[in-house]
Amino acid sequence: MTKKEKESLLKRIEKGLHEYYVAPYRRSFARAQRDEDDLFMLLVFAESMGVPNPAAYYTLELLPLVYDRFHEWHKRMGMERSPLDHIGCC
Amino acid sequence: MLLELAKAKKILFFGGKGGVGKTTVSAVTATACAELGEKVLLISTDPAHNLGHLFGRKIGSKPTRITAGLDALELDPHEIVNLHLKEISSALHRLMPSNLYSEVDKHVTLAKDAPGMHEAAMLERMADVVEDGLKDYDKIIFDTAPSGHTARLMVLPEIMSAWTEGLIKRREKADRFAEFVRELGEDTSMQDKTIGNADDSEQERESQIRQILLRRRHKFNHLRERIADSDMTSFVIVLAAERLPVLETIELHEQLKQANISVDCLVVNKRAPADSGEFLKERQEQEEIHLATLTGALPVLPKQDIFLRAHDIVGLPAVEAMAKQLG
Repeated sequence: MTKKEKESLLKRIEKGLHEYYVAPYRRSFARAQRDEDDLFMLLVFAESMGVPNPAAYYTLELLPLVYDRFHEWHKRMGMERSPLDHIGCC
Repeated sequence: MLLELAKAKKILFFGGKGGVGKTTVSAVTATACAELGEKVLLISTDPAHNLGHLFGRKIGSKPTRITAGLDALELDPHEIVNLHLKEISSALHRLMPSNLYSEVDKHVTLAKDAPGMHEAAMLERMADVVEDGLKDYDKIIFDTAPSGHTARLMVLPEIMSAWTEGLIKRREKADRFAEFVRELGEDTSMQDKTIGNADDSEQERESQIRQILLRRRHKFNHLRERIADSDMTSFVIVLAAERLPVLETIELHEQLKQANISVDCLVVNKRAPADSGEFLKERQEQEEIHLATLTGALPVLPKQDIFLRAHDIVGLPAVEAMAKQLG
């Protein structure tokens, strides 16, 4: 084993160990972020699902920005079909 | 009394029961201030467009010159909502395949008549008008819609900023998590499932959402601070010396007090003169009974009487003549 090969092996081990320790944290943060995002979507679409939203006028403005996440979101929330009557994404 | 108050404040609201003469009193006050050399903006938030009827001319949603120093405008919630929704549907059109355009439009059209839509639109324009208006004018005078409507409008900035605040907090939390994920290196497992992955378009989107929310928050807070600042803003309740307007005035005063808005003057409009015949004399005595109820409920509030006139107040000269008598 040359010196170079040794180094790269060490690097690989280091990377693997790093990943081993860090991955669970990253996963839980990613999950927490996803939960926050889901809640945000729920707030934006609240009115469409019969939950009164005092600021419907203003949340409509966010619709174009979150629309392409909409399909994934309603699937994840356990709604097979789009909960909006007039926007059928699936 | 009314004129002194008007001189001292930068923003003045006139409210009260329907038909008591809010529009006339606010237009007269605005004209009187303009005659004193101030630049005044008179704004109607009543969809009935009474200002146009009073001055006998068309006044639109853009400031219209009435006389030297006085501009007027009428806020039309229908128009504001339509404009807002048009912007949203064109933004949605850009995102979606053209075969879904009609679906998008249907959704947006339904939203137009959703509860709260008009008041939210009105609030937004009021916030804009107050912010811009204070730069160009010395004084902003609002002729508001009848009581209940206005009491609601005055607490709305509070509700809306709390709500926006909540959304911003949620966004910040989500962004913080996303930041952790980025710092912990390349993601493998959740990449396809999270909606906030680290690529540029995502970050761009996040920052757009945040900008929209922050813009809203700024607007609501600005309006709320101005309205709650009693050195700057005051509310005048206009009433007639009759039973129902008196009761409604007491109620409106209570609602405004709860919303932390200072009411500094009552204007009793269309008072019957005691020296113009038996009939009006009798009417005047009846009015004193109602006003005693009013004084009983609101003892410290100063009142200004405006007497009943034989002729209607229509057109600028009539308003100006009445303004002269105000001081």
